[in-house]
Amino acid sequence: MRDEALLNVSNLTVNLLTAKSAVRPVDGVSYSVRQGECLAIVGESGSGKTVMNFAPLGLMPTGVTTMLSGSVKLEGRELIGLPEPEIQKLRGKSVGFIFQDPMSALNPVRRIGRQIAEMAELHLNMTPRAAEARALELVKLVGISDPVARLRQYPHELSGGLRQRIVIAIALAGEPKLLIADEPTTALDVTVQAQILRLLKDVQRRLDMAMVLITHDMGVVAGAADNIVVMYAARAAECGPVDKVLVSPRHPYTRGLINAIPRREDPIGSEFRGLPGIPPTLGAPIKGCALAPRCELAVPACSNSRPPLVRSDDSSVLVACPVVNQGKAAA
Amino acid sequence: MIHFISKRLKHSLVLLFMASLVCFTLVVSAPGNVAVLIAELRGAVATPGYVEQVAEEIGLHKPLLMRYVDWLGDAVRGDFGISYRTGTDVSADLANRMFVTGTLIVGSAAIATLISLALGFLGAFWPYKLPDRVSRGLALLGASTPTFFVGALMIYGFSVTFQLLPSFGFNGPKSWILPWLTVAVLPAAVLSRVVRVGLEEAMTSPFVLTAKSKGLGRTAILFREALPNITPLFINALGTQVGLMTATAIIVEPLFAWQGLGDYFLAGVRFRDFMVVQACLLIFLTFFIVVNLIVDLAVLLTDPRIRRQWS
Repeated sequence: MRDEALLNVSNLTVNLLTAKSAVRPVDGVSYSVRQGECLAIVGESGSGKTVMNFAPLGLMPTGVTTMLSGSVKLEGRELIGLPEPEIQKLRGKSVGFIFQDPMSALNPVRRIGRQIAEMAELHLNMTPRAAEARALELVKLVGISDPVARLRQYPHELSGGLRQRIVIAIALAGEPKLLIADEPTTALDVTVQAQILRLLKDVQRRLDMAMVLITHDMGVVAGAADNIVVMYAARAAECGPVDKVLVSPRHPYTRGLINAIPRREDPIGSEFRGLPGIPPTLGAPIKGCALAPRCELAVPACSNSRPPLVRSDDSSVLVACPVVNQGKAAA
Repeated sequence: MIHFISKRLKHSLVLLFMASLVCFTLVVSAPGNVAVLIAELRGAVATPGYVEQVAEEIGLHKPLLMRYVDWLGDAVRGDFGISYRTGTDVSADLANRMFVTGTLIVGSAAIATLISLALGFLGAFWPYKLPDRVSRGLALLGASTPTFFVGALMIYGFSVTFQLLPSFGFNGPKSWILPWLTVAVLPAAVLSRVVRVGLEEAMTSPFVLTAKSKGLGRTAILFREALPNITPLFINALGTQVGLMTATAIIVEPLFAWQGLGDYFLAGVRFRDFMVVQACLLIFLTFFIVVNLIVDLAVLLTDPRIRRQWS
């Protein structure tokens, strides 16, 4: 069981159609997560990392038509093409979700206890009384002080960090096997970020869950993840074990990202090292490498065809860059 | 909480006092000499001497301030004076008529609440689909048809054509249905939009995404997540509509020959029966203020965020 991936995504493409426009926020991305493993998905805003994880589970805003192709297998079960009522049963039960902004993720007029307990009623067939007890247990598990009082409170009475702990408790309430955390620390105070991340890491390990951590914070990646997928303009640029990708990034985009992190040795007042240029808009799929216009390594051939993910000199790291991969066969 | 209630009560009393001042001033400054009217009503020839005598009798010669203080002092004790027209005790008439109008408003408010919730939910459950369009169409129709016309249609349909319900009178529940429906049409139309729009807005909030991620279905999300969020909004709108029903009662009560406050008020205006007009106005205003007070308290109970500001 441990060897078989819990979540196996291969060649996933997402097209979103609204009344006015069509975009492709995810274009042929593959990755997998095993039980007990944490995968970080990194990329800048608009690179498709959230849509990639939410769309196959039916969590898209209404008014948008989502078209999926490729394959997303959760515990061996194909999600693409599964009717919504079936997917609804998986949400909360097999997959728990944690959202970016805990200030708005909770219903303001319902007691916290109810918001947690209804998960246990729904997914574990508990009586309301048993579910309340379960909620209390969960609130303790996510490290909230004075748990009995908290359950009777409303979201606006808690701080951001506490609310995110509640969101985590809700996500855990259905005993999911996979946790999808969409930038769980972005909206929080810097001091609280580390606590929440430690908590996430801790519960993931204790409950032996798989976790997909969507973030753009390299510090979060280094602290929590086992593997990483670097996304750029709807595609995977590089993927592999975190210690290898972060220590010796191969793809020019990953290098640029890591290089952009401010360092302690930087002289005071020195400018940020950003990547020049802006990411492309997600309109029509780009023919060649999406990074080419911003890339320092780019050669004319980069714009000819889409670079495939190729196994690098370290066999666990895959890179999609024709220049870096020169002379290697596609993986 | 206690603090809030006591503060709101104080506000209400001040408001009530000012309202009484306004309604007294308005009635007193209306054109025409009531003494002439009364003299004529009594069947005598309205000679200047007799008119003078009547004016003296009902206290028209006293300074305005004195008249106001006298009137308010009596009104607070429940004595609204004597009707100029009929010579009967206004307070005695009021008790009975308040029950009639109360029946009208309570029943209509309940019906309006039910209809508007049903229509609003229908629209929110199938947004921009057929049920939504029907609900929207009904709301438009209901909001733009004058109440007297609605009443006439009701009588024509239910009493004349199908002969199901009595067309007039206040004799038990069966006779209450048509007036209730007539008064409820406009508020139901307005409130259904409040429900529909409020639900749609709530359904796009981030916490609905959370609810969806929990595996809740659409119905559960609408009722458990969205409904509690629009309750304060709905109560506010309902309060306004219930307040306005006093105005509708003035139209509908004569239509169905109900001897309520609206009917009383209309007759009072027609005959410059100041005592009656003042009494009705004061009751209407008090009703408005009390409804507002109840609305504020209900909102306090349904919205924990507002509750917190006051605790």
